[in-house]
Amino acid sequence: MIGVSLRSLLSHKLRLALTTIAVILGVSFVAGTFILTDTINSTFMSIFATANAGVAVTVHGHPIAGTSGGIGGGANHPVPTSLLTTVRAVPGVKDAVGNIFREGATLIGHNGKPIGGNGPPTFGANWITDSDISPYHLRSGTPPEGPNDVVVDAGTAAKNGLVVGGSLPIVFLGGVEEHFTITGIAGYGSSDNLAGATIALFTEATAERVLDGQNKYDSILVSAQSGVTDVVLRERIAMALPSYAEAETGQQAAAAAEQSTESTISTFIGTPLLVFAFISLFVGSFLIINTFNILVAQRTRELALLRALGATRAQVMTSVLVEAAVTGFVASMLGFGVGILIARALLSVFGSTATTGITLLPRTFIVAVLVGTIVTVIAATLPARRATRIAPVAALSESLPETQDLPRRRIALGLVIFVLGCAALVAGLFTSNSVTLQLIGGGFLGVFLGVSLLAPLLVVPVATVIGWPVRRLRGAAGLLAGENARRNPRRTALTAAALMIGLALVTCVAVLTDSVRVSTNNAIEGTLRADFIVFTQGPDFDTQAAGALAKDPKLTDVTEVRVTPVLIRGSSESISAIDPSELGSVLTLSMVSGDASAIGTTNTAIVDSTEAGAAGVHMGQLVTFNFPQGATVRVRIGGIYTANALVSGYIVSIATMQPQVPTARDDVVLANAAPGVSSGQAEAALQHDVHAFPLLMAMSRSQYRTFVGAGLDSFLNLITTLLAFAIIIAVLGIANTLALSVLERTREIGVLRALGMTRSQTRSMVRWESVIISLLGAVLGLAVGLGLGVVVAGSLHDLGITNVAVPGGNLILYALAAGVFGVLAAIIPTIRAARVDILRAIATE
Amino acid sequence: MAETTTAGVSTTASDSRPIAARTTDAVKEYGKGDAMVRALDGITVAFGKGQFSAIMGPSGSGKSTLLHCIAGLDRLTSGSVHIGDIELGSLNDRQLTMLRRERVGFIFQSFNLVPTLSALDNIVLPLTIAGRKPDPAALAEVVRITGLGDRLKHRPNQLSGGQQQRVAAARALASQPEIIFADEPTGNLDSSASTDLLDFLRHAVSALGQTILMVTHDPLAAAHADRVVFLADGRVVSEMLGPTADTVLDVMRHLGD
Repeated sequence: MIGVSLRSLLSHKLRLALTTIAVILGVSFVAGTFILTDTINSTFMSIFATANAGVAVTVHGHPIAGTSGGIGGGANHPVPTSLLTTVRAVPGVKDAVGNIFREGATLIGHNGKPIGGNGPPTFGANWITDSDISPYHLRSGTPPEGPNDVVVDAGTAAKNGLVVGGSLPIVFLGGVEEHFTITGIAGYGSSDNLAGATIALFTEATAERVLDGQNKYDSILVSAQSGVTDVVLRERIAMALPSYAEAETGQQAAAAAEQSTESTISTFIGTPLLVFAFISLFVGSFLIINTFNILVAQRTRELALLRALGATRAQVMTSVLVEAAVTGFVASMLGFGVGILIARALLSVFGSTATTGITLLPRTFIVAVLVGTIVTVIAATLPARRATRIAPVAALSESLPETQDLPRRRIALGLVIFVLGCAALVAGLFTSNSVTLQLIGGGFLGVFLGVSLLAPLLVVPVATVIGWPVRRLRGAAGLLAGENARRNPRRTALTAAALMIGLALVTCVAVLTDSVRVSTNNAIEGTLRADFIVFTQGPDFDTQAAGALAKDPKLTDVTEVRVTPVLIRGSSESISAIDPSELGSVLTLSMVSGDASAIGTTNTAIVDSTEAGAAGVHMGQLVTFNFPQGATVRVRIGGIYTANALVSGYIVSIATMQPQVPTARDDVVLANAAPGVSSGQAEAALQHDVHAFPLLMAMSRSQYRTFVGAGLDSFLNLITTLLAFAIIIAVLGIANTLALSVLERTREIGVLRALGMTRSQTRSMVRWESVIISLLGAVLGLAVGLGLGVVVAGSLHDLGITNVAVPGGNLILYALAAGVFGVLAAIIPTIRAARVDILRAIATE
Repeated sequence: MAETTTAGVSTTASDSRPIAARTTDAVKEYGKGDAMVRALDGITVAFGKGQFSAIMGPSGSGKSTLLHCIAGLDRLTSGSVHIGDIELGSLNDRQLTMLRRERVGFIFQSFNLVPTLSALDNIVLPLTIAGRKPDPAALAEVVRITGLGDRLKHRPNQLSGGQQQRVAAARALASQPEIIFADEPTGNLDSSASTDLLDFLRHAVSALGQTILMVTHDPLAAAHADRVVFLADGRVVSEMLGPTADTVLDVMRHLGD
């Protein structure tokens, strides 16, 4: 029997070609994601390993609460420089050096703009003279010696044309700009760069001054005398340390950094990509089911003959599944190969500094091949079961039975899955618990599966409506196209459902982004009274900026808004601070209770209604703010305002926050045009003022609205691009179904040609069938996507998504795109249909 | 009653009526070299307008090939085919399609109805393909004589074999073609359905003046024709006017020897 399925596989290899491509696309996405994240991880691993190569022990303060995770690990409290003497005195220490390494040194490129923009971190550090310990390795030039010397990392230097001897302006925390001379270019560990971050290296004295690190080190790096192991040395140092400091070996430090990096990359790159990869595979499984269903239908007589000759049901089932397994296995191997190419392409897009090529772990290969094979086999199980139901007598009967009506069981199953999916979705969206994401994911899956099972019921009505204009416009070809689309509702439904999934997800995200856009616009219109908003593109906001703007006679109501993290009941929240006397002139908060001016009283806060509801906070209650800098302040709730998309959380006066967090910077600065000054003049003046602060951007309210919209557009574009795989697979599915249908209807097409149908009418017939299937997918996709989008957007009401908006333009665009997909999918099937040899077709008995 | 002629002499219709279709030295070869088969070996034959003609012959005699070549479904290796005044050899695929659409009707052995269309839609399909509106009176007449009045909304799979073949016959008649080609039209029918269909075809010729050219191996079917042309080994070997089942069977027995 295995031999029979293999021979059948070879004879049907053309028919399986598109199935294979679908599996390849899905698997390559999975494999590509693994290879990409593994490669990035191993790049970091080698960076951390080589950077820590000479470090036996690292000494630092305790971790700062709420900063754990991220690339390279969370931040620790600094230690006083005096601790260096203590560490150096520990027996077995060969050398110990202070390390200052923190964000806040933004390099200004030749164009006057910050290098890296609002992207990768901008580190400043002290040059470490002990080259055994130092992670920095001079590539050219000399180490920094004078107060105006700087060494930059080789990656940044190469990308931005920085050369030894050149001048380099650097903006530090607080917006202080200083000019330095580049004395050298250095690598970090064995690589050019720390994953795209910029690193500026100064003398220790300069680093302490410009990086706000008076008498403090971020860590102390220790090397060991020969014969003393890292572990032993760590223990000795730990014994000598005061309680505010801790010690770990260089290996531990590297491992911790690696682990934190790995989980960050997995959260922000790996997991999202895998989700889209599995969506592609899910869509691909529809194509596989359809292909095997059609193959089984076409082979009914052959399979019945096998049964008549004594093959058992199990053997028939096995023969179909073996065919699926071999197809899935071969396609998965190819998909793995394509995945390598995809990972390479993505790595070059991300501008990776990978020097060691890509990382191929055995796990990637095993997962890719298993996933592809298993998905194919599972998808082929339904068709295989149908194959087992073929009665031996079918081998002898003249005509094959027409497809029967949809069984009640299937409708019931579809309804149950659909309802369960909706229930899971609602539960996931409107209740908060530990499995929220799983519930939402399962809900989407349930909705898609349920609709796919019920879709055959919709094929006839929808195809009739869509087919009507086609019939009017295209005569016989249109009539037959409509009839053909309806003749096998299950096949048409499954084909359209595959397209539905991609389109539904795109539509859902479009509804979400449009809802956010409209809600934000409403919030900007309703809440933001200020004419102008100024914000930073860098890690910090220039402290001089607000003062400079306040001096401009063309501006008034210049108001600083500062944000700082605090711990409230153990969870980290951002609180905002604003000048109470200016609040009313720049913001309009709609109050549920109390008054916004309440924050004029020290240690009084107002909070948004969502936060108040979630935390069970009411008017007059005292809430404890634990500032990470150490202070604990009890704050009275003086008002509750309606949540909106622009302003949220606790708001206090600057006078309340300032004493606890003297270093808090502005988050945004708001301003109005001075009385009698036109908004154009005021804006020109503002832009002129802001020009002096390279990290800042100033916008009018309408520009800000556009800016926010552009961000949402690029998010939607990103999602659409990621879903392109799933949509391409669905279009392949349409092509596949049509190609197999044309094959099935060879005789019918021959008769039509004999009756006077021209080749172009034949092409038109197949093309319009394809368009009808695609539009059916679009109708389902838009309807389901709209429903999902409205529900999901509605559930975000508490996050300030007050409006649920339907992007009509996008929906029309998607429907038109679906029509085009139909035409594209039909290209090859139309060619095959037009080539049908009339005589051979009608002679086929 | 029956007049028979000797092999190869029949080059024109047996009386002076106008000619609907004719071949001259029609040769059709398949394959090359040693594997070459000569399906038609120089056939010159003509079929009169308003006549019900049958082509008979043993398996492999070339009767179906001849029909396909005259109907414009296949091309000759050499020689010529005319339908009316039109020489088919000079037509390209599109012109041949138009010729089939405008001047020719088909009835196939296995009915070949379009399963997704109702009986009525199948009947008017050639007109729909051509973008023409059916003549209501002519259509009503065709429907009446096929006796399908109460079956017009049914799909082919809801009809019996005989009914399906009557739909196919109505389809061929509805466009009022110059000539209808019927390829073993009774091959898949039982004897009573066969008789019904043949009576119907006979009626179409006698009452409506339709021209029909039928390939068959059934002497009973051939007996309904005005004239029978016998083929063997790709040549015309005999012909007969006013055939009966017995006389046809005699000739066939002779050819079989």
